[in-house]
Amino acid sequence: MSGQSLTGLSPWSRRLVAVGVLVWCLITVFPLYWVVVTAFKTPPGVVGGPTYIPFVDFTPTLQPFIDLYQGIRGEFFRTFRNSTIVGLSAAAIATAIGAMAAYALVRFEFKVRLGAGLVFFLLALGGYLLFNATLGLTRPQALLLAFPIALIAAVVANRLPLPGPILGNEDILFWFVSQRMFPPIVTAFALYLLYSEIGRLGFQLIDSFVGLTLCYVAFSLPIVVWLMRDFFEAVPIEVEEAAMVDNVPSWRIFIGIVVPMSMNGLLATFMITLAFVWNEFLFALFLTNSRWQTLPILVAGQNSQRGDEWWAISAAALVAIVPMMIMAGLLSRMMRSGLLLGAIK
Amino acid sequence: MMRNDPIKHVFIWPAVLVVLAISIFPLIYSLTTSFLSYRLIPPIPPRVVWLGNYATLLQEPRFWSALFTTTLIAFIAVGLQYAIGFGVALALNARVPGERLFRVALLLPMLLAPVAVALVARMIFNPTMGPLNQFLAKFGLVNLPFLTNGHWALACIIAVEVWQWTPFIILMMLAGLQTLPEDVYEAAELENASAWQQFWGITFPMMLPISAAVVFIRLIESYKIMDTVFVMTGGGPGVDTETLTLFAYQEGFKKFNLGYTSALSFLFLIAITIIGVTYLALLRPHLEKRR
Repeated sequence: MSGQSLTGLSPWSRRLVAVGVLVWCLITVFPLYWVVVTAFKTPPGVVGGPTYIPFVDFTPTLQPFIDLYQGIRGEFFRTFRNSTIVGLSAAAIATAIGAMAAYALVRFEFKVRLGAGLVFFLLALGGYLLFNATLGLTRPQALLLAFPIALIAAVVANRLPLPGPILGNEDILFWFVSQRMFPPIVTAFALYLLYSEIGRLGFQLIDSFVGLTLCYVAFSLPIVVWLMRDFFEAVPIEVEEAAMVDNVPSWRIFIGIVVPMSMNGLLATFMITLAFVWNEFLFALFLTNSRWQTLPILVAGQNSQRGDEWWAISAAALVAIVPMMIMAGLLSRMMRSGLLLGAIK
Repeated sequence: MMRNDPIKHVFIWPAVLVVLAISIFPLIYSLTTSFLSYRLIPPIPPRVVWLGNYATLLQEPRFWSALFTTTLIAFIAVGLQYAIGFGVALALNARVPGERLFRVALLLPMLLAPVAVALVARMIFNPTMGPLNQFLAKFGLVNLPFLTNGHWALACIIAVEVWQWTPFIILMMLAGLQTLPEDVYEAAELENASAWQQFWGITFPMMLPISAAVVFIRLIESYKIMDTVFVMTGGGPGVDTETLTLFAYQEGFKKFNLGYTSALSFLFLIAITIIGVTYLALLRPHLEKRR
């Protein structure tokens, strides 16, 4: 693939284009350079006006990082650990069950009656109102009771010859992806209330590992299903058919053949999900308060706590940024093999 | 070929259950709450007001201003992102010198935490100690009120959005450009079509479906903007840069006005749906013409 669209340009225009890209690149890199440099400054080095080159403009110091490590500016160590644990587990779980769902949507046929979907929604809504208003159950109790009833009724309804259109795999995929369209504030706030009412029943979800991870898994699933479907479609079906002739069960085909063949895709999806969870702010803001606080919340808090202590702010920002910088390097290496091509069809 | 094997249910149900539980649950919960007058502080027992919350909100100037601000940020930022991103992607696709080096650096911003980016932006936009003002001072512009004047603050937020999310457009457009067939360009070459004509005659129309999808994704995501604004201005000065999500957060989490906030988030959902549907309806004729 060589540059078709530039061949018609004169050498001067080519140079102009190169300069343009270079300028954008500088704009991209400068803030990153700035935050790295500032993290090694001493207080006078910051207040005296902007300085740029270490050892020439100012004497670098490791003090901000020592402060961070000692926990002077909030418990960075524990927060970092929280972010890592929640990020890795949410990304791993989401990739695993999302990949399974994506594989099912690629290779198996599903038929869901629109009527069954409606039955589910109406029963869940109606059951909730009924249990809450007339039977005097608390709101989470009513929800937890209405949910399985509605689900079972919907599964049964799906077997009945209901009128109305039948939805196929494409529609199920669309349903998954459309979950991303919802403004997260709609869910975050309701989830906060729901979690805290469940907490009153004795099962703590607010500020807990389970609550946060569960919510991140749910919110990563749409992306995972969407990305993984393309990777699985690229796996040649002949291999699977050969295995089926030998009567290998489906789950062994999946784990033994399909997963190893799409390892690159799984890895990339895992990393994208990890980045998404690592950077997420809104849900963490609602659903944690101290023990399971994640890095973005702590980093955002630095701002109001220490107005102009830029060396500390920069060091804090760096802690949140650097792991993702390393991942960007890894991702771009994978992208050279045309990895994300399929995802945008 | 589609198989039919009962094991398919084992594959798909975990994902369906998790998504159902975490997204439909809260949806029902906040839908019903939005018809109540329900406050946690002071604790008043919930009272059914039907569409009362919605009516109050639609008369609330702060809601309209938040909606306007969000729309402004989303459309301007995505427009700029698309223009810059498409340009850079074209240049990278044409093997601009040093293209390999650019790639990692160009993609970096979109993987970084928006709160951290916003903190860095605060430093850079600082009126007295920031590098941007030092740079502009050389051109005689001293101490511009970047984050303390409503219009400037809005522009700064848009700039940060563009900085952070243009890489996403570059990435997607680059992937799309690489799938374009080469023979069309060779034919155009024979016809002596200029680079400009080739772009508008071939590249742009062929990239239209991908462009539409990418812009759509970015537009929807931009409407959710919260963390950048939260850190950079906190919605201020006054409520000049307050976005919908931030408004809902202030009402819900600071005042614990539950019914009102639920109604607000549903209006938000309706607004996004209207914008999404209008966008798709406007674009459909252009997309279908090509088939």
